[in-house]
Amino acid sequence: MTTPSTEPGRENGTRRSLRRAVPYLLLTLSVLPIVIGYAWVIIATFSYRTKGLLPIDAEGNIGGFTLQNWTFVSDAEIWRVALNTFGIAIGMVIGVGFVSSLAGYALSRMNFAGRKGFLGLTLVLHAFRPEMLLIAIFHVLLFIGGIPLIGKFFGFNTVGGVALVMVSLELPLGVWLMKGFFDNIPWDMERSALIDGASRFRVWWEIILPQIKPGLAALAIFNFITGWNAFLIPFTFTLGSKVSNLPVYLNRFSEDTSMVSWNQVAAVGLFSLLPVMIFFIFTQEMLLEIYSGGAKGGA
Amino acid sequence: MAETVVGAEAGVARAQTSRWAQIKATVGAWSFMSPAIFLVLVFFFIPAILLFVLSMTDLASSNFSDPWTYIGLENYRRLFSDRFFPKILRNTFKYVFLTLGFFNVGLALVLALLTSHINRRASFLFRLLWLLPRITPSVVYIVMWRRFVQTPPYGIINWFLSMFGVERQPYWLTEMPWLFVVLVNGFVGASFGMIIFTSAIEAIPKDLFTAAKVDGASSWQIIRDITLPLLRWPLLFVTTYQTLSLLVSFEYILLLTQGGPGLYTTEVWALTAYKRALKTYFGSHAWGYGAAWGFILVIIGVVMSVVYLRVFRFDELVQEPKIDVL
Amino acid sequence: MKVELENLTKRWGDVFGADSIDLEITDGELVAFLGPSGCGKTTTLLMVAGIYKPTEGVIRFDERVVNHVAPKDRNVGMVFQSYALYPHMTVFRNISYPLKLKKVPQEEMQRRTQQVADMMGIGHLMDRKPAQLSGGQQQRVALGRALVKEPDLLLFDEPLSNLDARLRLSMRGEIKRLQLELGITSIYVTHDQVEAMTMADRIAVMREGKLLAYGSPEELYDRPRTLFIGGFVGNPPMNFVDVEVVQENGAYHARRGGFDVVVPPERGGQAAGHGTVIFGIRPEDVAIADDGVPGEIYVVEPLGRDDLIDVRMDEEARVHVLADPALGLRIGDNVKLRFNTDEAQFFDPETEQSLLWA
Ligand SMILES: Nc1ncnc2c1ncn2[C@@H]1O[C@H](COP(=O)(O)OP(=O)(O)O)[C@@H](O)[C@H]1O
Ligand SMILES: [Mg+2]
Repeated sequence: MTTPSTEPGRENGTRRSLRRAVPYLLLTLSVLPIVIGYAWVIIATFSYRTKGLLPIDAEGNIGGFTLQNWTFVSDAEIWRVALNTFGIAIGMVIGVGFVSSLAGYALSRMNFAGRKGFLGLTLVLHAFRPEMLLIAIFHVLLFIGGIPLIGKFFGFNTVGGVALVMVSLELPLGVWLMKGFFDNIPWDMERSALIDGASRFRVWWEIILPQIKPGLAALAIFNFITGWNAFLIPFTFTLGSKVSNLPVYLNRFSEDTSMVSWNQVAAVGLFSLLPVMIFFIFTQEMLLEIYSGGAKGGA
Repeated sequence: MAETVVGAEAGVARAQTSRWAQIKATVGAWSFMSPAIFLVLVFFFIPAILLFVLSMTDLASSNFSDPWTYIGLENYRRLFSDRFFPKILRNTFKYVFLTLGFFNVGLALVLALLTSHINRRASFLFRLLWLLPRITPSVVYIVMWRRFVQTPPYGIINWFLSMFGVERQPYWLTEMPWLFVVLVNGFVGASFGMIIFTSAIEAIPKDLFTAAKVDGASSWQIIRDITLPLLRWPLLFVTTYQTLSLLVSFEYILLLTQGGPGLYTTEVWALTAYKRALKTYFGSHAWGYGAAWGFILVIIGVVMSVVYLRVFRFDELVQEPKIDVL
Repeated sequence: MKVELENLTKRWGDVFGADSIDLEITDGELVAFLGPSGCGKTTTLLMVAGIYKPTEGVIRFDERVVNHVAPKDRNVGMVFQSYALYPHMTVFRNISYPLKLKKVPQEEMQRRTQQVADMMGIGHLMDRKPAQLSGGQQQRVALGRALVKEPDLLLFDEPLSNLDARLRLSMRGEIKRLQLELGITSIYVTHDQVEAMTMADRIAVMREGKLLAYGSPEELYDRPRTLFIGGFVGNPPMNFVDVEVVQENGAYHARRGGFDVVVPPERGGQAAGHGTVIFGIRPEDVAIADDGVPGEIYVVEPLGRDDLIDVRMDEEARVHVLADPALGLRIGDNVKLRFNTDEAQFFDPETEQSLLWA
């Protein structure tokens, strides 16, 4: 968007373009640490060692490029871990999308006892963070693991279990945002559908959900990114690479190797970062619907 | 289809919504809510209760095989008489409000405003860069920051300093631990608010800006008189949400300083709870004691969010449904 | 189908949406709900549709109390002010949606949808999305969607208020024709009294949630029961002048200062002896003449076919008069007015009730 930076006439051109440059200047300054930091990450992954931002070889001279930090990509395990990561992220997207769009709809549009209470609760819930409840959730997952059949998919040390916990973790945000999206849909459309003969469930699925597609997409992107980077939950509730994801793998990797090569850690990190970055580049426009849910004009 | 009353006597009957219809509507609505309620029960409430129960036991890795022994409020007594309790409490609020004020809300808002005043493509680039810390695995992100602060020859800050001929090149993390704790968290935290605010700004009808421009308002006046007032709800939401996020977050501090340097310099409550429960120095896990720390934090979080809900009057956001039937 | 509303009330806290409305609509009738915006027309309509639950009162379809019947089981069709089309569906899917929900077989659905669309003159637009249609076409889709399920009752909520003046005029005629042809009982909500007068069999005038009057257009126009109805129905609105009615030499006179007109005994007799009463006369029943009540022209508003002349008879008494533009009247001219008192109305200034029509 381009909100005004132009001033009403008369002002001379140089001053105007100077003024236009101010936001660029400030933004550039703000990202400087990030640019420098990531420059180092990229350089480091291709070198033995670094001095400041420069790659150096064994003698301390500039040089010493290498691809050895990237050899892990030929390891089959990393791809399996990457697949798990993807699974957890997608699980998050679908789970949070489904559960919070149902709850958000009811909270925004239905009259029922307990509605206000639950709305307040969604924000309060954010204070019950699984980070604090880890020990207790551990026991819950152990219990679920003991249930026949269900336990195999959603118990301790399963991708399903981790995804469930992750979905719950994101529910307060999801429900709150979803409720906001639904609040922007005109009532007449829904009334019309009810008179046409639809049940509330059909109205939700056939009439209202299609209206908030941009918001759904934005929430999905947000959850994908969150799910892809999840560390604490998968770290605590999984054992071994069969179910762990990239951040966990990375952590183990950085603790396993007797002599940790931080440059190699950086390479794995970059490997894990790249897909999300590319994903984000293509979806940023959609992500920016996260507040309005696609309804332009209503805040 | 519900009951239909036939006959004249029904004419005078007050058609107060029958109990049955009300129950039906509530059941219908709760069926929409049920998946969320299920997850909330299983992964929020039951664990919270378990946590409270745990906090009244002496469960630890040293006596794991024993049945849990009930020790009442002993863990809480121990917690409040801990020599570092006041310091940790102070640290927690310092950490939360500095990061929140300067980055998660403050800088986030500035970034959203700035990027909405520049070329769209350029704004995409800046947002992407700002999002990098959030999408980088924490381990690698911390490795990067450690590189910044390290002593020569590896440290990046010192490398730049030496280019300018500055003599003193310390280990910056011990030099100013709080600065870096806030920076490291702030660079991750700012992007959440930035995205929400940008999105909210984009949702403002363009007519408003056009009208203000026609009226001769300057950029600053437009921001002050139009944009900011319309950002009220997103601002309050981000403030509330991020306060709670920061309150319980410890991952980056754990990886960066482990609460140091020295004794509890940057130790925050959540980190203490985590360490007591899962990472004691003696290699033993004091789950019960850690649970007490965790439970108090949950209470603090709940109290704060209730205060926020009241102060910010979030109930104004709640519109009444304009359909009565299910 | 016959519709009966009894003591129908909708309240949100202390806000009254509708306040004990009693009304009966006979089979095949088109009833207009007429009233200023915010008076509870939509609220009443939505209760009839089943979207709002009445706080009190009963709704009957034929003899059946439908208070607890779900909207989908009431078999009503509704056209909304905003049209409320489904933006992600094509015209075909919009119109056929009620049939799809009724699980009407594919073939029959196809046929009925096409039939309704053709009737509405949008048969060639079936694959368009609502956003690609003009306002008038969207209106027709909304109408088609309401008609396709062959409802027992049609509800219109200010359906024409978003159209331009010319289209409004032609749609007005078309809706009326359709309604007559299909013979479906209809409730038509509007704030435009011309619309109500021209289309409705009976008009329910509402204000602040209350039903003020219910009757045929002629009844409301010729025999207004209250001051409000008198002033509200008819355009340009009725003139009101405070007068005293006295009997002199067998004739009844309505008088104030220099204003003195003779009124027929069947009307004057009802108004005499009440002290000061409000005399009401429609602009079309006042004429500029060679003799009569003197006055001075205050404003001239050309309406095209007529000029609307605001004449001041004294400090507090002004009347609007319809006059031929050919007369070339100007502000400041002195004129004489003749009143067709066969159509005079009298109202009690306290109760605002008509003194003529109990
Ligand atoms: N869902 C609602 N909640 C609270 N008040 C309402 C609601 N719907 C309508 N009202 C109020 O009821 C009154 C009548 O509204 P409405 O029926 O929409 O009027 P109309 O259609 O005649 O313009 C108004 O004062 C309005 O503010
Ligand atoms: Mg209305």
